[in-house]
Amino acid sequence: MMENKLSQTHNSQIGFVTGGGLEANLQVRLTVPPQSVQEGAFVVIDSNNWRFYGLVTDLRLTAIDENYANQINAQRFTPQLAELLNQQTLYTNLAVMPVLMMETGPDVDSPEYAAWREEHPNESAPITVKTIPSHHAPVKLADRADIATIFGEENNQNIFRVGNTREQGHPVCLDLDKFVQRSSGIFGTTGSGKSFLARMILAGLINYDRASTLIFDMHNEYGIDTSSSDTGQGVAGLKNKFQSKVQLVGLGADTNIGQQRPDFTLEISHKDITTEDVLQLTEALNLKETTPTTLDALENEFGDNWFTQFMNMRVGAMVENEDGKLEPAPDSVEFWARRAGVHKAAAEGLRSKLTRLFNRPYLKNAPASNGLSDITNALQSGRHVVLSFGNYQSDLDYLLATNLITRKIRDTWEKATNDFHSKKRAEPRPLVVVVEEAHKLLNREMASQTIFSTIARELRKYYVTLLIIDQRPSQIYDEVMSQLGTRISGALGDEDDINAVLSGLPGRGGLRGMLAKLQPKEEVLMLGWGVPMPIPIRSRRYDSQFYKDLLGDEAEAPDMKKSSRMLGF
Amino acid sequence: MSASPKIIPIGKLLRAENSRFVAGCRVKELETPALGSLVKVKLEDQSEIYGLITHILINDDNLVRQLVSGVSIPSEYTADNRYNRNLPVEIHVLTVGYAQNGQIAHRLPPRPPLSLDQLFLCDDADVRQFTSQHGYLRHILRLQDQPIEELLAAHFAQVKPLQTTEWYKTACEKVITLLRDDYAQLTKVLDVLSELETE
Repeated sequence: MMENKLSQTHNSQIGFVTGGGLEANLQVRLTVPPQSVQEGAFVVIDSNNWRFYGLVTDLRLTAIDENYANQINAQRFTPQLAELLNQQTLYTNLAVMPVLMMETGPDVDSPEYAAWREEHPNESAPITVKTIPSHHAPVKLADRADIATIFGEENNQNIFRVGNTREQGHPVCLDLDKFVQRSSGIFGTTGSGKSFLARMILAGLINYDRASTLIFDMHNEYGIDTSSSDTGQGVAGLKNKFQSKVQLVGLGADTNIGQQRPDFTLEISHKDITTEDVLQLTEALNLKETTPTTLDALENEFGDNWFTQFMNMRVGAMVENEDGKLEPAPDSVEFWARRAGVHKAAAEGLRSKLTRLFNRPYLKNAPASNGLSDITNALQSGRHVVLSFGNYQSDLDYLLATNLITRKIRDTWEKATNDFHSKKRAEPRPLVVVVEEAHKLLNREMASQTIFSTIARELRKYYVTLLIIDQRPSQIYDEVMSQLGTRISGALGDEDDINAVLSGLPGRGGLRGMLAKLQPKEEVLMLGWGVPMPIPIRSRRYDSQFYKDLLGDEAEAPDMKKSSRMLGF
Repeated sequence: MSASPKIIPIGKLLRAENSRFVAGCRVKELETPALGSLVKVKLEDQSEIYGLITHILINDDNLVRQLVSGVSIPSEYTADNRYNRNLPVEIHVLTVGYAQNGQIAHRLPPRPPLSLDQLFLCDDADVRQFTSQHGYLRHILRLQDQPIEELLAAHFAQVKPLQTTEWYKTACEKVITLLRDDYAQLTKVLDVLSELETE
């Protein structure tokens, strides 16, 4: 028989319901000083065998009669009388957004409990709010047990603590399994701790083995140890902490990641580059409207060799024919353009613009190793890949490499999923693709062309989801934003960014203010499909204590462990 | 309620209704009753009706008018008018509760007292017992034709020394609760109570 958890709310009453509804939020008369409750506080309301869970979205000072508020009563009356007067005439109203409700049944000690339990043999679970508490229902701040009921309790498996409530410091957890079921986003202005939060969640995913992760590490923040730009203190990289579970991959043959050698390097074969990959670079390469036609012609004629063939063509190369006249050389762009029926200027213009691609050292006709395959194998075997861009940190490199690699890997996962469904092969392992500066890949202009918007829309159809990290969510295509299951946002200054984070969610009005007033550091708002209800939290710190909690003794730096072993300890 | 030897008779009833009554007394008996004092009338069935003095009225008559209009009034005339005059001093009382079989209720009595029933001033023990709960204050606050802030202040000034600090605080809370929807009236009451507290 289930224990009635709900009698365990130990916090004292802070107010009572006076009105409101589902649409307009509940009105709660506060019976404690307003400073004891903050916007975003998680409250519980017990009413007739139901417990309601809600969020404080506003606090408003009010009075029975405005005259009582418009004078300082203590100056007119004695302090005692003024205090008594103020207590009864001036008060604070809370706006509480009801989010969840759960049937609790009568008190466990009451005679009705046994009959109720017989009618309700299964453990109650929170459901989306469908009704409201009665007038004068008591309102309390949620205690640790309430928060655990909603967000789960850390279990060293899928329930992972990401922070604590702001007022009382109760742990708030994230269900990692649910987190990877749909694409997610971490947002916040520069310095709001996005990458720390992302590292923390990735460490949880890696440690508890809930999914493979492919991290496009544009700024070398995730793989190797770095130092905080604010405090100068060392920040552990995932490779250091998880060793062989994490593969460091460098783009290009001679790439070092900081001072560290990667586990292997990635060179991309020309054959892996599709015309779609080039089209995604339309803006970066300033390509013309004629480009798709030219690329189609190239692909039709040369197949997956088109890139090498086009690279080898020369612009303006002429030869003298038998009549002594100059005509396009057989290896010239013009020669091919005439043959393929493509406008000469368009073809030559494209060839010139693609020179930037042809010069990328990591694009090889015949790479020494198949780095793409190595990455896929590592991910399929349950390891995690951090791809560093080394010396190739331009937008062009980032756009090309992320799209190309992600498309290839997603194709592999799609095939594995189809095999799983049709041939009863092993179920594919969930894969999370981590993308920084996501607006470069998912903006309005590009979203329809990139593989990332496809992944975001597919939810988890092929077991691949995105974790996008960005400071300008308003620049990301609305359709992609609305598909994000879990959204974790730090402080955002811009109104458009705030609206973008809240797009497609109920109760946006109340959440908007909450998001706008987050502390610049360490405070984040978790919301979306992946969390039972929106909640602002103080995020867990990504530091040595975090790894001690996560890994126990293993958190000790591997170098020190090695030294200890060498010394015979 | 049993009669206490300290209970002082101060007059006899002239007229009455459920919510208020008027007693008359001689001028020389006027030394003890005061505005805001708790008084009671004992009925034949041993029940008692409690009230608060809201108003003390000294009516004139033709003789007084003539005397007042005279150039000078000899002192024996003044004394004679006060001690031997036929018109009584009127003590207006607001009914605030009753006691039946020893149980005090802060509601209006089933029946009013009768004319010529004796009016007594309550002693300290009686005051302490009747005012131990604050329900009777609502009767004061419904008065329309009296300065209720003055009446309350006069009443509190008499009861406060007999009750605890907590009693006074609760009484003020009660008054605020009952009057908080009437800003003008409540602030007048609190002004007077503030004066009382600082005296």
